[in-house]
Amino acid sequence: MATKLNKKTVVIVGGGLTAALVARQLTAKGTDVLVLERGHDRRNGAEATLPSQRDELRWDIHGSLGQDWAVETYTVRHKSNEEALPARRLGAFLPGIGLGGAASHWNGFTWRWSEYDPVLRTRFETRYGRQAIPADLQIQDWGVTYAETEPYHHLFEKLYGISGKAGNIKGAIQAGGNPFEAPRRDEYPQPPLEPTEAGLIFKAACEKLGYKPFIAPSGNSSGAYTNPDGMRLAPCQYCGHCEKFICEAQAKATPETLLYPVLMGRPNFEIRLRCHVLGIDYDRQGKRAIGVRYVDLVTGEEYEQPADVVALCAFTMTNTRLLLMAGIGEPYDPATGQGMVGRNFCYQTTSAANVFMKDRWINPFLASGSTGVTIDEFNNDNFDHSGLGFLGGAGISANLTNGRPIGNRRVPPGTPQWGTQWKEANAAWYAHSFSLQAQGTSYPHRENYLSLDPTWRDAYGLPLLRLTFDWRDNDVKMSEHASKKINEIANAMDATVVAPAAARRSPFDTRVYQSTHTTGGTPMGADPKTSVVSQHLQHWDAENLFVVGASAFPHNAGYNPTGVLAALALRMGDDLASYVERPRRL
Amino acid sequence: MSDRDGADRTRNHASTKAEGVGPARRDVLKRIAAVAGAAPLAPALIATSATNEAAAQPAVPSQSATQHGSGYQSLGPDEAAFVEALVNVMCPADHLTPSGVDCGLAIFIDRQLAGGFGQGERLYMQGPWRKGKPQLGYQLPLTPEQFFKAGIAAANAACKARHGKPFFALAPGDADAFLKDIAAGKVMDPRVPLGLWFNGLVYPLFTQACFADPIYGGNGDKVFWRMIGYPGLPATHRGDMVQYRGKPFPGAKDPKSIADFS
Repeated sequence: MATKLNKKTVVIVGGGLTAALVARQLTAKGTDVLVLERGHDRRNGAEATLPSQRDELRWDIHGSLGQDWAVETYTVRHKSNEEALPARRLGAFLPGIGLGGAASHWNGFTWRWSEYDPVLRTRFETRYGRQAIPADLQIQDWGVTYAETEPYHHLFEKLYGISGKAGNIKGAIQAGGNPFEAPRRDEYPQPPLEPTEAGLIFKAACEKLGYKPFIAPSGNSSGAYTNPDGMRLAPCQYCGHCEKFICEAQAKATPETLLYPVLMGRPNFEIRLRCHVLGIDYDRQGKRAIGVRYVDLVTGEEYEQPADVVALCAFTMTNTRLLLMAGIGEPYDPATGQGMVGRNFCYQTTSAANVFMKDRWINPFLASGSTGVTIDEFNNDNFDHSGLGFLGGAGISANLTNGRPIGNRRVPPGTPQWGTQWKEANAAWYAHSFSLQAQGTSYPHRENYLSLDPTWRDAYGLPLLRLTFDWRDNDVKMSEHASKKINEIANAMDATVVAPAAARRSPFDTRVYQSTHTTGGTPMGADPKTSVVSQHLQHWDAENLFVVGASAFPHNAGYNPTGVLAALALRMGDDLASYVERPRRL
Repeated sequence: MSDRDGADRTRNHASTKAEGVGPARRDVLKRIAAVAGAAPLAPALIATSATNEAAAQPAVPSQSATQHGSGYQSLGPDEAAFVEALVNVMCPADHLTPSGVDCGLAIFIDRQLAGGFGQGERLYMQGPWRKGKPQLGYQLPLTPEQFFKAGIAAANAACKARHGKPFFALAPGDADAFLKDIAAGKVMDPRVPLGLWFNGLVYPLFTQACFADPIYGGNGDKVFWRMIGYPGLPATHRGDMVQYRGKPFPGAKDPKSIADFS
């Protein structure tokens, strides 16, 4: 029997990045906030201290910082007429757990998306005509514009001390920056990181081909920085242990470094660690969220936590799963296209080439998490798609993030898998190779969605979330185009050997890490028929329930999601403060 | 990103200088003799099929001395013979490294099987158990340790059917060819999927054994790090980033590991 606790004003599910940003805005305006986080505070553990921090096997290969698949995983299938099977050890992406969530072991890439991304359907219809969007691509506008979120991008980049070079200040294109960047009001808070040797080789090849390469904006701190809340970042050490690791040097912008310490000093903020939310209590008649139920993982006791407002700030998939389990909103049905919860599930369409240059010292271990050099000429809708037969694109980069030796050695095609020749190839090429990557769009497809699995359950006896996902025709054609462009650049480098990029193809492989950028499931929008939450991230079927994160994205762009989900979270924090003051449909 | 060498699976034959199988067998026999003080056990060991491994295991206490001074925690004698032969074929002693056994690769694998990974840590182990497409991942009800051992038994059975002797007794060239056939899915067992066993479990453990921090028992003396020029720790490269961009990095010749800072 669950113990009923005293009511809180706002209860937030999940103690990651979006929760911290929402709580920052709310507590600053005097609202009391409770955050429930299933994991713990790892800042003083082996994962955040030298020398144990530099343990590739433990933190990277065994994925010990992420969600524990023995407790909860996902089932996966490629088509809705197949039976999904549980991913017993998921490799494809890494949902977080613990204070800071997945944002504590990210690489740091921080983008504002294209100015037209929130109005993508309108953009495509205007540029190519209504018929140019295939019927099975559920591309839709977000109900919000870039201009409305710009102040929050600005704030987030200041809070995180983002290092970068502006490409577009108030419409004026800046040399050295990304000419396709959405307009910014000013420079980045810090100058860009040092590029790698691979980045410089990529830059030269791109310039030879007439492109405009730039150093990607990063949450790895290029210098010593103090943010507007008085929190400090130390300079990045280029240690090559960033994504899948917790920075021991406080040089990577993370929630537990910059945001939670401030919140923990505020009397109206409370976080309960090792508290796992089991479900949302929902009043169907009154169309209101009553609160959440959770289990205290220290005592094993269950609690009901009532609240005036419930905010879902968990990982993409968890936000969707909690709504489906509580029966809030109509589940999406791919057969009819009706229903909202679980729709517009997207991923990230990637491909890569390997480049081998025997006379160049690449030294892959001299790298930060996001020391990338990138071009955006072939990203999103930055180029004319007339007659190409697909929509979307990819950022193309030389993102050399590490030289960790178990997972990041490259050998030329045809090398034996073991034996003396295998060793010789590793010895010859480890310091003289790198990859080029395409990080591409993933547009919502009618058949790609999230639902509850009828068979498999988590350690608490609750149904697992089921992913129905595959690379569809538009993704594959986009990836073919992006891969061709990568190979043209690779071939312009005078490389000894190029192992060309191959387009991403069906079937989606759960075993191989591709990206943690899963999006959608609770899309935002102005139309309740095609969105779960409004343009203010307020649930259409429960006025006091808000959902934020990449789960609110109606599509995924050729960029990392952090900048956008952070801007949405800060904006939702302000909206929520207004709602708490005067509850209403925003 | 598909930049792991395992992603580019090739079926080309390597010209291994493998001299590992003989020594591996000798290691096992030596150990048995040392521990049990009874050479007559050795023929029995060779004749014992892996299905009888439980009976054979108690003969070797876990603290039994190997040349590395640390006994196996998971592997029984037959299994140890298999793994030692395997790592010596996959990592022959040559101008780059000592033999796989001498690099600690067998110890690494044994420790992984005995530890959290081998016992199914972070692995979703709830039924029902159904077959599916390879892209949906591992679907057997076995922990990695159980799967590893079932695979050894199945591979040895197939090896006996093909060559008339267990894997560790094969000549190096035959052993290498046999592993290539397993990796290519050409060695069948009615119950154990040997291709998956090798490519999804054995091979990753092998590369981890070579390149993980030596604290886990493999990569002895950081030999694989030195081989490729990975400098290891502490990796505080803020100054190096500019100074050694595009140039040989001096620390690559003398890598440092966790133990060097502990």
